[in-house]
Amino acid sequence: MSRHISDAAKKFLLLGQCVPTVKQNATKIRVKRLELDENLLMYFRKDDFYYCHDPEKKCKSGDIVLIQALPRNLTKLITHEVKEVVYPFGDITDPVTGKKVAKERYREDIEREAEIYGKLPSGFDYKKAPPRGWQDGKKDFTSKPTYTKFHVFDENDPYAV
Amino acid sequence: MLRRATTLFIQNRGVNQLVKPLVNIKWTRPEAIPAYKPERSGDLEGLPQIPSNSLGKEYSLCEEIKDAPESVKTIFSIEHLGKKEYNVLVKKELTDRVRRHEYDERTAETRIAKLTGHIRCLQDTMEKFPRNAKAKQTVQELIDKRKKLLKYLRQYDYKKFEWLLEKLNIEYKAHPETYHKLTRKESLRKLTEMHCDSIRQSKLSDYRNLLESQQGPFLTQKLDALKFIRSEQTELQLPITVTEQDIKKVEDQLKEWKIKDELKEQAKKKKRNILLD
Repeated sequence: MSRHISDAAKKFLLLGQCVPTVKQNATKIRVKRLELDENLLMYFRKDDFYYCHDPEKKCKSGDIVLIQALPRNLTKLITHEVKEVVYPFGDITDPVTGKKVAKERYREDIEREAEIYGKLPSGFDYKKAPPRGWQDGKKDFTSKPTYTKFHVFDENDPYAV
Repeated sequence: MLRRATTLFIQNRGVNQLVKPLVNIKWTRPEAIPAYKPERSGDLEGLPQIPSNSLGKEYSLCEEIKDAPESVKTIFSIEHLGKKEYNVLVKKELTDRVRRHEYDERTAETRIAKLTGHIRCLQDTMEKFPRNAKAKQTVQELIDKRKKLLKYLRQYDYKKFEWLLEKLNIEYKAHPETYHKLTRKESLRKLTEMHCDSIRQSKLSDYRNLLESQQGPFLTQKLDALKFIRSEQTELQLPITVTEQDIKKVEDQLKEWKIKDELKEQAKKKKRNILLD
């Protein structure tokens, strides 16, 4: 069964989510699948993790990406490559109208609402906002996995909780 | 006799292990920090600077107080009104940093700002009264709530999330895979693994240095040999197997190696100087 899946996985593009990893020259992608339990005749979620070659650092943690198996394994660990970032994390576009969305509302509607009430300069402006990643490693510690602090080192690691 | 010998042996083994551990690792258990402390909750700044003679939030809206005498103003200042009114001003200060419009109360950023203000006030209370159990519980709940809101905001609007972290001066760390009580065994295992890794890395780098140091002499030897072969072949009018390109290639390699070697030597010298100082 599992061999069957792995054979199929080599041919097709896979859709997965980028998860935080400590590896510097590869990204870790989680692919969600459903596996049939033959006793219960029910499907259960099963996650597969793939390490992907991504020299340009196309994807950041949380992005939904397309990956494909490399013709030859780059290393023992790296077996796939990142083809394309399909949905960047936290920057959602409505597929029907092509407008940007925040939660269940269009961003332009939110702006319009603020204008009607009387916009203040303290509010957030999407046009002035820099692209994602300017707080990475400063105040936003999500690119690497956090862990329980187990020792007092000379240098304090911010990822130790 | 045998039994005595075995017991002696086993005892000795135990003693030896106690005296001489196999790997020299010192483990210090990290000190437990209460979860309400700013370094755990991720608050990078304390309470904002609010002068003690500023009026309470509701009273400052009043028309009459604007031309009231000083004594009346002092009565309605937060110095006299107490901590509760002060806390209201703290929350107002933080929400004003991120407010979209005047009536903005329920959006994610204002909610997070308000929670942040409340958390910082309670952290101040906890500093003064560390055994206040009610405050401890409340601040814990608020911190968890804020983390949840930040997590959701990150999912649907990353740019705003980053901007908010900057404005309110908060750190956001994702949840670890598991929250568990730290054990000695786990820590020692991780430390041993790190120790082994460092040994492996140092051995590998040493070996690499050794091989690289041998590259230079070998290349000079190769260059001489190639030149000799070429000259011999031309002299004896044999078919020439060594082209000039081959020789040039080796020369280039030798040049590159020399540049690298110089850089390495300079780094070594610098290290030595630092050690001497």
